[in-house]
Amino acid sequence: MYSFEHYIHFIDGKMTENNLPKEVVVNDTTITFKYGEPIQLHVVADVKNEMSLHYVFEDNVHAEVIETRHVEDNGVLNRTFITGAYAHVNFFNENEGTGKNTYLDVGHSSHNSMLQLGYSELSDASIEASYTFELDGEGADVRLRMAALSKNKEKKHYKVHIKHNAPHTTGIMDNYGVAKDEAHLVIDGIGTITNGQNGSASHQTNKIIVFDPKCYASANPFLYIDEYDVQASHAAGVGKMDEEHLYYLQSRGLTKRQAMQLITYGYLMPVVEVVDNQMIKERFELALSKVGA
Amino acid sequence: MMSVLSIKDLYVAIGDKEILKGINLTINTGETHALMGPNGNGKSTLLGTIMGHPKYKVTEGTITLDGEDVLSMSVDERSRKGLFLGMQYPQEIPGVTNSDFLRSAMNARREKPLSLYQFIKAMDHATEDLEMDGNLAHRYLNEGFSGGEKKRNEILQMKLLEPKFALLDEIDSGLDVDALRIVADNINEMREKNEDFGLVMVSHYERLYELVKPTHVHVLVDGNIVVEGGFELIEKINNEGYEWVKKELGIELEKEDEDVVSIGVCGHKVTSNV
Repeated sequence: MYSFEHYIHFIDGKMTENNLPKEVVVNDTTITFKYGEPIQLHVVADVKNEMSLHYVFEDNVHAEVIETRHVEDNGVLNRTFITGAYAHVNFFNENEGTGKNTYLDVGHSSHNSMLQLGYSELSDASIEASYTFELDGEGADVRLRMAALSKNKEKKHYKVHIKHNAPHTTGIMDNYGVAKDEAHLVIDGIGTITNGQNGSASHQTNKIIVFDPKCYASANPFLYIDEYDVQASHAAGVGKMDEEHLYYLQSRGLTKRQAMQLITYGYLMPVVEVVDNQMIKERFELALSKVGA
Repeated sequence: MMSVLSIKDLYVAIGDKEILKGINLTINTGETHALMGPNGNGKSTLLGTIMGHPKYKVTEGTITLDGEDVLSMSVDERSRKGLFLGMQYPQEIPGVTNSDFLRSAMNARREKPLSLYQFIKAMDHATEDLEMDGNLAHRYLNEGFSGGEKKRNEILQMKLLEPKFALLDEIDSGLDVDALRIVADNINEMREKNEDFGLVMVSHYERLYELVKPTHVHVLVDGNIVVEGGFELIEKINNEGYEWVKKELGIELEKEDEDVVSIGVCGHKVTSNV
């Protein structure tokens, strides 16, 4: 059940079991990572109604975290992230919810910190999510990679916002999605660079592939930039699955279902390529290999 | 055991345009058939129809494989029954590795799945035979491949899938002299190794047919097979082109069209705004 030696399990905000290293201190629903040995922690959160989790990575901390959340119908998970100066954090999120779920993340990053987040959004739930990360300290860096699959009658809506509040900050997001059947998938990518945050870089890629005519998909990039000396880009688009790909794979004996499964995997796969952390890469690959047709 | 692919009185249209107008063709395993004819006269349409591309509409006629109705089978069923189409323009599939794809394709026709070891051995062997990049297994399917690499990859798939009938559509286009020899050697090896293997090749060039000698030659003009014969036909076409067909048989050659017809499918469109 746990992917690392060290783990902690919450059910509706109450800790039920744990095996924590000495660098991790838990107070109620606040998990504080202290400087010392590099830390690996698997967090499991079972959410029936509403739950909050607060992650505090102190200065200079090196940590890898996997959070697996099982959120039930109408469940809400609120999280905050404080990333201290020079902290280096790789954080993988895997959703295994059902029904309708709401996720709200708010993060603040201090100077010269690096936070890389992987979001595996392949669950059977309808999702309303808002992920906001603020780069408060000079040189702070946040990279957010998401693979989202919306199928059947699911409605998934993600608002991903990276806000540059300090100079020389870097915010990168790569959101890849597949919509099939009658599902909705909307990804809003927002990059904000306020005045005076010179030397900052805001880049985003939002790509969704649609499989079926009854799907609704939209990839919306927004860049709000009030400073001249910056680098910014966005590539966004919604494309249709190429029928010729399906034909090619079927002509080699794969059933339509098998072919669509491979194609789905293939479309979400680029997210793995942009990740530069082995743990997150492997978790994404594992999650994607389980994607059904 | 010998297998038979039989095409009878086949009429095929793309949209409202009739392309094939009553094709009759019987291919037994152990035989190699060459399909020739000017561009736009139905060669690729015939191969695509046998494989089941959705853009081709069969309006009349039958295709059977050992008596079984091919036209009622889905594309993947046709493949599992032993038909293989080496495509003129193999698709590039992003994110899908050659090894994931090939393993699925090989397992699709087996009761017991191949072990990873068996698969790697077979894949390595085929990669070596076709003198392809040793890293092929981990590369995405045809993505970033040169024209020649794509064609070799088609032959590699044919070797691993061991069809009863392989239909090769301009397998020699995009190949340099060395690559053509490698491809021809591998096709010949399949012919020699397996008596229950039949081949249909479409090519405009004598060179391929010299390396892979056909037993039967058919010339397709305006949706019909108008001349049939042996290797001597290829030599005649090579020397004289198709003009003599017109003269001797009184047939008007209809040129162009088909090979550049835009396909009525939805392309992979990703708009990019920077």
